[in-house]
Amino acid sequence: MWPQARVPHRLTIGLAIAIVLDTVVQLSWKSAAAGISDAATPWATLETVLKQPMFLVVGALLLCQLANWLQVLGDADLSFAQPLTSLSRVTVCLASAIFLNEKLSLMQFGGILFVCAGVWCITRAGRESPVREAPAHEIQMREAVVR
Amino acid sequence: MTPTAIGILLVMLAAAIEGFGQIFLKKSTLEQVRRPVWIAAGIAVFIVQAVVYTEALRLLTVSTAFALGTLSFVSVVLLSKWLLREPVTFNRWVGVGLIVIGSSLIVASA
Repeated sequence: MWPQARVPHRLTIGLAIAIVLDTVVQLSWKSAAAGISDAATPWATLETVLKQPMFLVVGALLLCQLANWLQVLGDADLSFAQPLTSLSRVTVCLASAIFLNEKLSLMQFGGILFVCAGVWCITRAGRESPVREAPAHEIQMREAVVR
Repeated sequence: MTPTAIGILLVMLAAAIEGFGQIFLKKSTLEQVRRPVWIAAGIAVFIVQAVVYTEALRLLTVSTAFALGTLSFVSVVLLSKWLLREPVTFNRWVGVGLIVIGSSLIVASA
Protein backbone atom coordinates (compact mmCIF):
# COMPACT_ATOMS: atom_id res chain seq x y z
CA MET A 1 0.00 0.00 0.00
CA TRP A 2 1.00 3.67 0.20
CA PRO A 3 4.00 4.38 2.40
CA GLN A 4 3.40 6.95 5.09
CA ALA A 5 5.54 10.02 4.48
CA ARG A 6 5.83 12.95 6.86
CA VAL A 7 6.51 16.39 5.48
CA PRO A 8 8.21 18.74 7.99
CA HIS A 9 6.30 21.90 8.99
CA ARG A 10 9.02 24.18 7.61
CA LEU A 11 8.74 22.52 4.20
CA THR A 12 4.93 22.62 4.30
CA ILE A 13 4.96 26.35 5.09
CA GLY A 14 7.56 26.98 2.36
CA LEU A 15 5.45 25.12 -0.20
CA ALA A 16 2.29 26.98 0.90
CA ILE A 17 4.07 30.33 0.48
CA ALA A 18 5.31 29.19 -2.96
CA ILE A 19 1.75 28.35 -4.05
CA VAL A 20 0.30 31.66 -2.81
CA LEU A 21 3.10 33.71 -4.40
CA ASP A 22 2.76 31.76 -7.67
CA THR A 23 -0.97 32.55 -7.78
CA VAL A 24 -0.45 36.27 -7.13
CA VAL A 25 2.40 36.44 -9.70
CA GLN A 26 0.32 34.76 -12.42
CA LEU A 27 -2.65 37.07 -11.93
CA SER A 28 -0.45 40.19 -11.76
CA TRP A 29 1.48 39.03 -14.83
CA LYS A 30 -1.74 38.56 -16.79
CA SER A 31 -2.92 42.05 -15.83
CA ALA A 32 0.44 43.54 -16.83
CA ALA A 33 0.58 41.60 -20.14
CA ALA A 34 -2.89 42.90 -21.05
CA GLY A 35 -1.41 46.42 -21.12
CA ILE A 36 0.92 45.62 -24.05
CA SER A 37 -0.39 46.47 -27.54
CA ASP A 38 -0.90 43.59 -30.02
CA ALA A 39 1.36 45.13 -32.67
CA ALA A 40 4.32 45.42 -30.32
CA THR A 41 7.67 43.91 -31.35
CA PRO A 42 9.72 41.89 -28.82
CA TRP A 43 11.92 44.98 -28.17
CA ALA A 44 8.86 47.19 -27.70
CA THR A 45 7.50 44.54 -25.35
CA LEU A 46 10.72 44.63 -23.31
CA GLU A 47 10.61 48.45 -23.21
CA THR A 48 7.02 48.37 -21.98
CA VAL A 49 7.89 45.69 -19.43
CA LEU A 50 10.64 47.87 -17.95
CA LYS A 51 8.36 50.93 -17.77
CA GLN A 52 5.16 49.37 -16.38
CA PRO A 53 4.85 49.55 -12.57
CA MET A 54 2.87 46.29 -12.56
CA PHE A 55 5.84 44.43 -14.07
CA LEU A 56 8.05 45.87 -11.32
CA VAL A 57 5.60 44.45 -8.77
CA VAL A 58 5.80 41.09 -10.57
CA GLY A 59 9.61 41.34 -10.46
CA ALA A 60 9.60 42.00 -6.71
CA LEU A 61 7.23 39.07 -6.14
CA LEU A 62 9.46 36.82 -8.25
CA LEU A 63 12.45 37.73 -6.05
CA CYS A 64 10.45 36.76 -2.94
CA GLN A 65 9.45 33.57 -4.74
CA LEU A 66 13.11 32.79 -5.55
CA ALA A 67 14.26 33.27 -1.94
CA ASN A 68 11.46 31.04 -0.63
CA TRP A 69 12.03 28.43 -3.35
CA LEU A 70 15.75 28.09 -2.58
CA GLN A 71 14.77 27.41 1.03
CA VAL A 72 12.31 24.73 -0.09
CA LEU A 73 14.86 23.10 -2.42
CA GLY A 74 17.30 22.91 0.47
CA ASP A 75 14.81 20.68 2.31
CA ALA A 76 13.53 18.39 -0.45
CA ASP A 77 14.22 16.77 -3.81
CA LEU A 78 13.39 18.89 -6.85
CA SER A 79 11.29 16.05 -8.31
CA PHE A 80 9.25 16.08 -5.06
CA ALA A 81 8.86 19.82 -4.41
CA GLN A 82 8.25 21.15 -7.91
CA PRO A 83 5.21 18.96 -8.79
CA LEU A 84 3.59 20.00 -5.49
CA THR A 85 3.48 23.59 -6.72
CA SER A 86 0.92 22.35 -9.28
CA LEU A 87 -1.64 23.23 -6.59
CA SER A 88 -1.17 26.80 -7.78
CA ARG A 89 -2.87 25.66 -11.04
CA VAL A 90 -5.93 25.03 -8.91
CA THR A 91 -5.69 28.33 -7.05
CA VAL A 92 -5.03 30.29 -10.28
CA CYS A 93 -8.11 28.74 -11.93
CA LEU A 94 -10.25 29.62 -8.94
CA ALA A 95 -8.73 33.10 -8.58
CA SER A 96 -9.05 33.91 -12.31
CA ALA A 97 -12.73 32.93 -12.08
CA ILE A 98 -13.21 35.19 -9.09
CA PHE A 99 -11.03 38.19 -10.02
CA LEU A 100 -10.80 38.06 -13.85
CA ASN A 101 -14.33 36.72 -14.48
CA GLU A 102 -13.03 33.71 -16.46
CA LYS A 103 -15.64 30.91 -16.45
CA LEU A 104 -14.91 27.50 -14.93
CA SER A 105 -16.63 24.38 -16.33
CA LEU A 106 -17.46 21.05 -14.72
CA MET A 107 -14.52 19.48 -16.61
CA GLN A 108 -12.17 22.02 -15.08
CA PHE A 109 -13.39 21.05 -11.63
CA GLY A 110 -12.66 17.42 -12.59
CA GLY A 111 -9.18 18.50 -13.62
CA ILE A 112 -8.70 20.20 -10.29
CA LEU A 113 -9.57 16.90 -8.54
CA PHE A 114 -6.97 15.04 -10.66
CA VAL A 115 -4.31 17.62 -9.77
CA CYS A 116 -5.13 17.26 -6.07
CA ALA A 117 -4.95 13.43 -6.38
CA GLY A 118 -1.55 13.74 -8.09
CA VAL A 119 -0.23 15.96 -5.31
CA TRP A 120 -1.50 13.45 -2.73
CA CYS A 121 0.35 10.60 -4.52
CA ILE A 122 3.61 12.55 -4.51
CA THR A 123 3.39 13.45 -0.83
CA ARG A 124 2.88 9.74 -0.02
CA ALA A 125 6.13 8.92 -1.82
CA GLY A 126 8.49 10.81 0.51
CA ARG A 127 10.30 14.11 0.11
CA GLU A 128 13.96 13.20 -0.17
CA SER A 129 16.31 10.69 -1.72
CA PRO A 130 16.79 7.80 0.74
CA VAL A 131 20.56 8.03 0.47
CA ARG A 132 22.20 11.26 -0.60
CA GLU A 133 25.89 11.10 -1.31
CA ALA A 134 27.71 14.33 -0.42
CA PRO A 135 29.64 15.99 -3.27
CA ALA A 136 33.41 15.34 -3.24
CA HIS A 137 34.33 18.94 -2.38
CA GLU A 138 31.95 18.92 0.63
CA ILE A 139 33.55 15.73 1.95
CA GLN A 140 36.99 17.34 1.56
CA MET A 141 35.81 20.47 3.40
CA ARG A 142 34.38 18.39 6.27
CA GLU A 143 37.62 16.41 6.55
CA ALA A 144 39.62 19.66 6.60
CA VAL A 145 37.42 21.00 9.44
CA VAL A 146 37.87 17.77 11.42
CA ARG A 147 41.66 17.98 11.05
CA MET B 1 -0.64 29.13 -37.77
CA THR B 2 -3.32 30.57 -35.48
CA PRO B 3 -2.40 32.86 -32.54
CA THR B 4 -3.66 30.17 -30.14
CA ALA B 5 -1.35 27.54 -31.67
CA ILE B 6 1.60 29.96 -31.43
CA GLY B 7 0.67 30.65 -27.81
CA ILE B 8 0.59 26.91 -27.04
CA LEU B 9 4.01 26.39 -28.66
CA LEU B 10 5.45 29.30 -26.68
CA VAL B 11 4.15 27.85 -23.40
CA MET B 12 5.68 24.45 -24.30
CA LEU B 13 9.02 26.15 -25.02
CA ALA B 14 8.79 28.06 -21.73
CA ALA B 15 8.12 24.77 -19.90
CA ALA B 16 11.26 23.19 -21.36
CA ILE B 17 13.35 26.25 -20.45
CA GLU B 18 11.93 26.21 -16.91
CA GLY B 19 13.13 22.63 -16.46
CA PHE B 20 16.75 23.73 -16.85
CA GLY B 21 16.22 26.79 -14.63
CA GLN B 22 14.95 24.57 -11.81
CA ILE B 23 17.90 22.22 -12.18
CA PHE B 24 20.32 25.16 -11.82
CA LEU B 25 18.53 26.38 -8.66
CA LYS B 26 18.61 22.91 -7.12
CA LYS B 27 22.32 22.70 -7.99
CA SER B 28 22.83 25.90 -5.97
CA THR B 29 21.57 24.11 -2.84
CA LEU B 30 23.81 21.08 -3.47
CA GLU B 31 27.08 22.85 -4.29
CA GLN B 32 27.74 25.59 -1.73
CA VAL B 33 31.03 26.65 -3.33
CA ARG B 34 29.45 27.46 -6.70
CA ARG B 35 26.13 28.59 -5.24
CA PRO B 36 26.17 32.16 -6.70
CA VAL B 37 27.06 30.83 -10.16
CA TRP B 38 24.18 28.35 -10.19
CA ILE B 39 21.71 30.96 -8.88
CA ALA B 40 22.84 33.46 -11.53
CA ALA B 41 22.50 30.79 -14.24
CA GLY B 42 19.04 29.89 -12.96
CA ILE B 43 17.90 33.53 -12.91
CA ALA B 44 19.28 34.09 -16.44
CA VAL B 45 17.34 31.09 -17.74
CA PHE B 46 14.17 32.25 -15.95
CA ILE B 47 14.46 35.73 -17.55
CA VAL B 48 14.47 34.09 -20.99
CA GLN B 49 11.52 31.93 -19.89
CA ALA B 50 9.69 35.02 -18.62
CA VAL B 51 9.97 36.79 -21.99
CA VAL B 52 8.68 33.70 -23.83
CA TYR B 53 5.86 33.20 -21.32
CA THR B 54 4.82 36.88 -21.42
CA GLU B 55 4.42 36.60 -25.20
CA ALA B 56 2.31 33.46 -24.68
CA LEU B 57 0.07 35.19 -22.13
CA ARG B 58 -0.85 37.80 -24.75
CA LEU B 59 -2.26 35.03 -26.95
CA LEU B 60 -3.92 32.74 -24.38
CA THR B 61 -6.11 33.04 -21.29
CA VAL B 62 -4.23 32.77 -18.02
CA SER B 63 -6.04 29.48 -17.19
CA THR B 64 -4.97 27.88 -20.48
CA ALA B 65 -1.37 29.14 -20.38
CA PHE B 66 -0.89 28.21 -16.74
CA ALA B 67 -2.40 24.76 -17.14
CA LEU B 68 -0.32 24.01 -20.26
CA GLY B 69 2.75 25.04 -18.32
CA THR B 70 2.20 21.82 -16.38
CA LEU B 71 4.45 20.18 -18.95
CA SER B 72 7.28 21.75 -16.96
CA PHE B 73 6.57 19.15 -14.23
CA VAL B 74 7.42 16.39 -16.68
CA SER B 75 10.57 18.17 -17.89
CA VAL B 76 11.67 18.88 -14.30
CA VAL B 77 11.17 15.28 -13.15
CA LEU B 78 12.97 13.91 -16.23
CA LEU B 79 15.87 16.36 -15.82
CA SER B 80 16.04 15.67 -12.04
CA LYS B 81 16.41 11.97 -12.76
CA TRP B 82 18.88 12.53 -15.60
CA LEU B 83 21.06 15.38 -14.32
CA LEU B 84 20.64 15.23 -10.53
CA ARG B 85 20.26 11.44 -10.33
CA GLU B 86 17.25 11.76 -8.03
CA PRO B 87 15.48 8.43 -7.54
CA VAL B 88 12.06 9.09 -9.05
CA THR B 89 9.71 6.53 -7.50
CA PHE B 90 6.65 4.97 -9.12
CA ASN B 91 4.40 7.08 -6.87
CA ARG B 92 6.03 10.26 -8.09
CA TRP B 93 5.45 9.29 -11.72
CA VAL B 94 1.81 8.43 -10.94
CA GLY B 95 1.43 11.78 -9.19
CA VAL B 96 2.96 13.71 -12.09
CA GLY B 97 0.76 11.74 -14.52
CA LEU B 98 -2.39 12.64 -12.58
CA ILE B 99 -1.30 16.29 -12.47
CA VAL B 100 -0.76 16.36 -16.24
CA ILE B 101 -4.15 14.67 -16.88
CA GLY B 102 -5.85 17.09 -14.50
CA SER B 103 -4.27 20.08 -16.16
CA SER B 104 -5.20 18.72 -19.60
CA LEU B 105 -8.83 18.53 -18.47
CA ILE B 106 -8.58 22.12 -17.31
CA VAL B 107 -7.09 23.16 -20.69
CA ALA B 108 -9.64 21.14 -22.72
CA SER B 109 -12.52 23.07 -21.28
CA ALA B 110 -10.79 26.48 -20.97
